[in-house]
Amino acid sequence: MTAYILRRLFRMLTVLIGVTIVVFGFVRLIPGDPAVVMLGERANPQVVEAFRERLGLNKPIFINVQNPMDTQFFRFAGQLSKGDLGAGIKSQIPVSDELKARFPATVELSIGALIFALVIGLPAGIIAALNRNKPLDNVAMTVSLIGVSMPVFWLGLILVYLFAVTLPWLPPSGRMDPSINFDSITGMNVLDSLLRGRMDGFLSGIQHLILPSIALGTIPMAIIARITRSSMLEVLSQDYVRTATAKGLNHRTVVLKHALRNAMLPVVTVIGLQVGLLLGGAILTETIFSWPGIGSWLAQGIFERDYPVIQGGIIFGALVISVVNLLVDVSYAYLDPRIHYS
Amino acid sequence: MKRLAISAALALSSAAFAAGGTLVYGSGGQPVSLESGNITDGNSIIVQRQIYDTLVDFADGSTKAIPGLATRWTSNKDATEWTFTLRKNVKFHDGTPFNADAVIFNVNRWWDPKFEHGYRDSGKTYEIWGQLMGGYKGEAAGFLKSVTKVNDYSVKFTLTSPVTVFPDLIGSGYFGIASPTAIKAQGAKYGTPASKPVGTGPFTFDSWKTGDRIVVKANPSYWDAKAQVDEVVFRFITDRNQRLNELRAGTIDFTSDLDPQAAKSMKNDAKVDAVLKPSFNVGFISLNVRNEYLKNAKVRQAISMAFDKKAIVEEFWGDIGVSNASFLPPVLSWANSKKVPADYKYDPAAAKKLLAEAGYPNGFSLDFWYMPVSRPYFPSPKDIAEAVAAELSGIGIKVNLKTKDWAQYLQDRNTAPYFDIYMIGWTGDYGDPDNFYSAYYGPSASDDSGYNPKDLADLLEQGKAAKGQSAKAKIYAKIHEITYNAYVRIPVVHSQPLAGKAKYVKGWVPSPLGSEAFNKITIDGKK
Repeated sequence: MTAYILRRLFRMLTVLIGVTIVVFGFVRLIPGDPAVVMLGERANPQVVEAFRERLGLNKPIFINVQNPMDTQFFRFAGQLSKGDLGAGIKSQIPVSDELKARFPATVELSIGALIFALVIGLPAGIIAALNRNKPLDNVAMTVSLIGVSMPVFWLGLILVYLFAVTLPWLPPSGRMDPSINFDSITGMNVLDSLLRGRMDGFLSGIQHLILPSIALGTIPMAIIARITRSSMLEVLSQDYVRTATAKGLNHRTVVLKHALRNAMLPVVTVIGLQVGLLLGGAILTETIFSWPGIGSWLAQGIFERDYPVIQGGIIFGALVISVVNLLVDVSYAYLDPRIHYS
Repeated sequence: MKRLAISAALALSSAAFAAGGTLVYGSGGQPVSLESGNITDGNSIIVQRQIYDTLVDFADGSTKAIPGLATRWTSNKDATEWTFTLRKNVKFHDGTPFNADAVIFNVNRWWDPKFEHGYRDSGKTYEIWGQLMGGYKGEAAGFLKSVTKVNDYSVKFTLTSPVTVFPDLIGSGYFGIASPTAIKAQGAKYGTPASKPVGTGPFTFDSWKTGDRIVVKANPSYWDAKAQVDEVVFRFITDRNQRLNELRAGTIDFTSDLDPQAAKSMKNDAKVDAVLKPSFNVGFISLNVRNEYLKNAKVRQAISMAFDKKAIVEEFWGDIGVSNASFLPPVLSWANSKKVPADYKYDPAAAKKLLAEAGYPNGFSLDFWYMPVSRPYFPSPKDIAEAVAAELSGIGIKVNLKTKDWAQYLQDRNTAPYFDIYMIGWTGDYGDPDNFYSAYYGPSASDDSGYNPKDLADLLEQGKAAKGQSAKAKIYAKIHEITYNAYVRIPVVHSQPLAGKAKYVKGWVPSPLGSEAFNKITIDGKK
């Protein structure tokens, strides 16, 4: 197992190096550069050129025949080897500081979305499978189909309009009521407010989390429901399930103990993929709900062609997805004792 | 007498009760930096204005220069030497004194590329200084020659050429005076969320949660009108619909840069007021005289007559847009020529005739580029472009509507082969006509139109050097006439950016320059 994990970690490193080179090149292929965006309407050619020079954007990207080390890439690689992802062109804020400040917000939202997806998606999938082709199945699958096909930004705005503006039950956006202040510990407001014993912060944090979690969790919820259903159907038709039923076990034990655990393998894979995507930052949801996570920051970085921000955000996203994939693979061994890694 | 005393005490206590509280502003996004002089984005400037003061301030809701950290300023006869008398007994939030050394320290940071506390090696660019002041120390184009201390409370700026508008420039919201002690102590990270910006302004910096909010607290020892609230929270809400939702839900108290369409929904909401900011921008259609058709002035004139600006402005801006024939917003109308008609004539039949006279009776086709993003001057560029295109087709000009990514759009408009016709605009930095004209006409302007006659360039130079409004008005009247008859930049609108506030927010007077201090705002009656 250890050897397997080490091998996977090495492979992860090569993937990250590849991602770094590709992202570095591709980011610079996007037309329009940071100088132009930052200067906006002021961007006349002389000013842009002076700005590019000051930022070092006039240097060759990968290859410089006269002075091979004097390229944008080597400068970046040099920084990266010291663990420095650079600083945002516009803000001058170190990318690593931004990631540190924003990742907890993204994790908190991802957990909220995942809880919503699992709490609704898993039972819906199980119920649909147990009631195959009956009205309950049809209802669950229709709802999940709608969930998959609904654009997140549209759903987000509708939720806000219904539950924050028309019926003022929940706050429209943000993470916490502006009047509530306490020093953060982990950066996850809900957890921190509990640790600090601030019930007002806890309640406000949960209230702020509900709408974005639903918006972000709807698609994973629908996917999980569908996968759970099909996986359960497959398992329920297996001989050992029939045997378990035949030997007189009650239906509940058969479903939850015998069928569900075995049906979970593909579901865990899907959940893992979804977690990776969620933690990489939910661009639309975070933007709509002014959620200060990785996604809204990356979106802004892309609009502004802030190269260090885009590079840092994508490399970090790739790292998160790789780690989550590894954890999912390792969890297989727990779920199915027949799986061994060597 | 006793009754009077009691009612006075009651009035006092109710006044004390009314003051205080938390004022929440829905900001269009996170500031780029709270370091003065290093950025231009509105989200940064509005927060900076609360923390910093500038040497010269502007009267509420106007562009008229009034004393700020400088109590008075004088120049020599030809406006090449400017002496500012500084306000005494002003302290930075860190307790250090504001004086001539502090002013010179700040100016050197922005102006001198070799200044040790400029931190340019960390990527700081102070771009706006170069743009407003011509260039940096050691560059021929920069017009600041030196900045010297006359005494502890007097500073002299010597310029290489006459600049009559210098007080407006140095007083623009970009150049807030920061504490040298704080800058030296915090180094290159000054202005980032990890720093503590220090100025002399009505509010002191408290905290900045990345991506979420900034909190500033009332400065109890402010030299001018003290803040009426305990603190201001700037929440970062990038989506403008969401800002409207937050305002209507009561989770923010006031906000800016709303969609013009939001005015209607605010009208039907008993809890909020729409606020129209004074217009200080121009949205226009730019024609490229390098184009084989557009090089003919008759063709350009025909285009100017082919679309009904008034109807378009009414349709897309409603009450919040003004259409006229000036490149300058209404507050600068003193610089317009009386000989120029109020607006371009709308006469499609005459336009068609002009096209025929120019040799194109059957018309021709052109690319018309519209911007992919909404700006205060063009809130819905695509719809506006479609309306103009439909009218141009009426006189035989077939228009191919095109757009591209904003970054690329800004770049390609200035790069060969350039755009034939495109939409763009400008929002002013300070209250002088030169700030508008020189951005799009003359030698330092955008290179998109290929139009740069010498007489216009000369007049622009004279405008910069002219002293007093009446001398300037004469020169800018000529510039107005020339540019009007050139039909190169056809002004479509001066829009009033739409803002909104809760009914209980009182005393907010938005500035045409985009940033104003919040110290006079009260929130009496906020639940």
